[in-house]
Amino acid sequence: MVLALSVLVFILLRLAPGDPIDAYVNPASPLSPDAMQALRDRLGLDAPLPVQYFGWLRAAVTGDLGFSIQRVGVPVLPLVLERIGPTLLLMAAGLAIAIVVGITAGIISAVRRNSPTDIGFSVLAFVGISSPAFLTALLGLYFFSVQLRWAPSGGMLTPGAGFSLGDLLAHLVLPACLLSIGHAALIMRYMRASLLEVLNQDYVRTARAKGVREFFVIVKHAVRNALLPVITLIGSTIGIAVGGAIFIESVFNWPGMGLLLVNAVETRDYPVIMGATLVIGATVIVVNLLTDITYAAVDPRIQVA
Amino acid sequence: MTLKTTTRSLALAALLGATALTLPALAQDPSTITGGFDVGPGGFQGNFNPLAATSGLTWLSVYYEPLVIYNAELTQLEGALASEWSMSEDQREITFTLVEETWHDGEAFTSADVKFTLELAKNAAAGSVFAARLGAITSVDTPDDRTVVVKLSNPDTGLLSTLAQVMILPQHALKDIAPEELATSTWWATTPIGTGPYKFTQYVTDQYVELAADEDYRNGRPLTDRLINRYFDNSAAAVAALRAGEIDFTYVEPDDAATLADNADYRVIEGASFVVNYVGFNHMVGLWDDVRVRKAFMHAIDRQAIIESLYGGAAEAANCGYVADQLVPADIDQYEYDPDKARALLAEAGWSEINGDKPITWLTYYNTPLAANVMAAVQAMLSQVGINVVPRVVDTPTYNGIVYKEGTPDWNEFPLVYAGLQNGPNPAGINVGLNESQLPPNGANIMRVQNRMLSAAFDAALGETDPVAAEARWQDVCRVMNAELPWATMWVANRYGVASNDLVDFVWTPAPAGGPFASHPEKWSKSE
Repeated sequence: MVLALSVLVFILLRLAPGDPIDAYVNPASPLSPDAMQALRDRLGLDAPLPVQYFGWLRAAVTGDLGFSIQRVGVPVLPLVLERIGPTLLLMAAGLAIAIVVGITAGIISAVRRNSPTDIGFSVLAFVGISSPAFLTALLGLYFFSVQLRWAPSGGMLTPGAGFSLGDLLAHLVLPACLLSIGHAALIMRYMRASLLEVLNQDYVRTARAKGVREFFVIVKHAVRNALLPVITLIGSTIGIAVGGAIFIESVFNWPGMGLLLVNAVETRDYPVIMGATLVIGATVIVVNLLTDITYAAVDPRIQVA
Repeated sequence: MTLKTTTRSLALAALLGATALTLPALAQDPSTITGGFDVGPGGFQGNFNPLAATSGLTWLSVYYEPLVIYNAELTQLEGALASEWSMSEDQREITFTLVEETWHDGEAFTSADVKFTLELAKNAAAGSVFAARLGAITSVDTPDDRTVVVKLSNPDTGLLSTLAQVMILPQHALKDIAPEELATSTWWATTPIGTGPYKFTQYVTDQYVELAADEDYRNGRPLTDRLINRYFDNSAAAVAALRAGEIDFTYVEPDDAATLADNADYRVIEGASFVVNYVGFNHMVGLWDDVRVRKAFMHAIDRQAIIESLYGGAAEAANCGYVADQLVPADIDQYEYDPDKARALLAEAGWSEINGDKPITWLTYYNTPLAANVMAAVQAMLSQVGINVVPRVVDTPTYNGIVYKEGTPDWNEFPLVYAGLQNGPNPAGINVGLNESQLPPNGANIMRVQNRMLSAAFDAALGETDPVAAEARWQDVCRVMNAELPWATMWVANRYGVASNDLVDFVWTPAPAGGPFASHPEKWSKSE
C-alpha cells in the first residue's frame, strides 16, 4: 500500500506544473532559462521519470530518502523524523483533549437528556462540527494570542530560550485546544447517542433495580459498552486529524509534518514531499492497526486474528 | 466525588495550568531583537547559501558582507569589505582596497578570500546564481593582502551592482569542498562564518536563526547581544506575532500597514519596491501586434484611481519601465485615462476582427488580496472598452513552469500576464525582460519582446561608461518603451515594514531581493 502511495505521489508531483527550480526563481529578479537548466541538471531533475522514481525507490528501501532541494544539504529522513514528534504531540494532545471533553460532554448530555445542558452541549457540538479548522485556528489565534495574549502566536518553543517543559506546554495549549474542537464535537455526539442506547438496555435497568448508585451504573456499566463505537470513531478520525493538523500547523507555525508538507508543496520540494507522504501513510496504517487491537482489548468478543 | 464536581475540577485545573504556563513565554528580552527578517518578497527563508540567494540578502548581510553595498536609500554604493575602489579609464579594471577584518573564527580576512569567492560565484557548477552576471570578469588578481584587481573583458556598468549582492566567503573554511558539492554542503546552515557584525549561532529547522554579536567587529561591538530571525509561513502570521509582542519587526502587506499606522507602539517603514508592475503582452500570440491595441490598454486603465483607492496613494504610475526622475524624460506620453480614446484606438486597429470580446487569459503569480482587487478593477475597466480578460492566479512555480516552459511553450496559456520586474537601483534590471538578446534560453524575456529600437536603446545604455551620459541613455530606453509599449506599464508600488517603537536606530528598506543595503545592525538596540 505504501509502495502504491509512493507511485501515486510521484506521478501527481510530476503532473503538477512547475518544479523545484521554478519555485526557486523570483519572477521579479529572474534567472535565464539556461541558468535554470544548469540547476536542474545539477539536481538530476531532467532524467527520465522511471529513472528518477526507481533511483528514489532504490535509495528509499535502504533508508535514504535523499536531500531536501530547498533546504540546502538537509537529508530528508532526519528532517521528516524530527517532524513526527511535534505532529504526534500536537495530535495526541488535541485528541486527548477531544476525548476527555467529548466523552465527558457526551455522558452529561445523555444523562441529562433534553435538559438545557444537553441542548447547550448539542448546539456547541453542531458549531464545532461545522467550523472548518482554518477558521477556528485563525479566530483562536486572533483572540487568544493577539488580543488577550494568553498564548504564544506560533512556534513550539520561544526562539533562543532553550528547552523547558513549561514553554513547550504554553505553545501547545492553544493549537491543541483548537485542533480538538471538531473531534470533541464529533465524539460528544457519538458518545451521547451510544450511551442513550445503552442506558435503555435491560442490564442497566437491572443494575438500578439492584440499588447500584447512579454514578456507578453510568460509569461502570453503561459507559464501557457505549465506548465501543466511540473508539472506532476515534481511530477513524486519526487520518482526519492529520488533515486538521496541517491547517493548525500552518497557522501556528508548529514545526510538524503538516507544516513541512505545506512548505514542501509550495516549493515543489519533491524529495521532502515523497518522504513525508510515505511516513504519514505508514503512520496512518499503523494507527489503524492499533485501533483494531484496542477495539479487541475493550470488547472481549472480538478476536485479533 | 460526583460527576459534576469532577468535571468542574478538571476544567479549572486546565485553565489555571494553561495560563500559568503561558506567562514566561511572552517575556521580552531587551538584549535580543527578534524579527521576521525573511518575511515578504525580499526574504528567502531556509536559504543559507549566499551564492544561491535570489533574495533574502537583508538577513544574509547581517553575518556576511559584500565588497560594496548600497546605502539605505538605495541611491548609491558605498564600501563594505572594500574601503575604497577605483575604475580604470577604459572601464576594464576595478581595483578594490580592502578593510582590516577577521572572520568570525578569528582568521584574517584577505584578498585571497575575495578572489576565491568571485571565482566561485562565476562558476555555475557551484550552483551560483551570479555566474552569468559575472561573465565579464576575466581575472581576479591579488597583488597583496589588502588589494584586489578585477579585470573585465568589456565594460560592464552593472557589475558593481552585482558585486553588491555577492557575499564574500572564507577560503580557509570552504576550499576543501568541491564546487559541485558546495550547494548541498551542510556548512551553510550549521557552522557558517562571515565578517558581519553578528555571527551565526544556530538554526532551528524552519523555526528561527539565531546570531550573536561579534565582539571583534571592526565598527565596534554590536549594541544588542542577539538577533533572531523567526520564520513564518506567511506575512499574516508574522503580523500576529508582532501584535502579540513576540517579535520586533516584520514586512507587512499594505492593508496591515494601514491598520498599524495609527498605533503608537509601532513605526511603519515605507519605501519604493523598485519593482515595476506591468501587464505583459505575449508577442507570439498575434493579438498585440498593433501598437494602437497596446496604447488602448494604457488609456483604458485608470491607474490613478487604482493607486488612490487600492494602494492608498502609495504607488507611482509608470509610463515606461522607470519612475525615478533622472530616468524619465519630461516629454513622454502620460497615457491619461480616456476610455473613449481607447475605444477609438481599438476600432482603428480592427480589434473586433483581431479578437473581439473573446476571453483572454490573464496569468499572474500575485496571489495577495490587493493583487486580486487590482486585477478585478483592471478587468472591469478593460471590459468597458471591449477587451475581455480573465484573470488566472497561480503560484510562483506554476507561473514559472508555464512561461519558462522548454521548447515551444503554449503561448495561449499566457497571452497576457500581470507581473513585476526589478527596475532599480540599477536601471539595467529590466533589460533581462525586454532586450531581444535576452530571449530564452539566454535571458528572461518571457513575453518574447522583439523590438529592434528598444534593444538598441538598451545596448547603448548598457555600453555607456560615463555615468552622466548613461542617464541620458536610460532616458532613451524609457522614451522608446513609452512609444512602443512592449508592456502596458502600470506602477511602482511602495512596500512596508513595521517595527516596534522599542527599536532604536533600526534601519530597513523594502529593497528588491532584500538588497542588501547598509543597515548597520551593529547600531540596532532596544529600549528597556
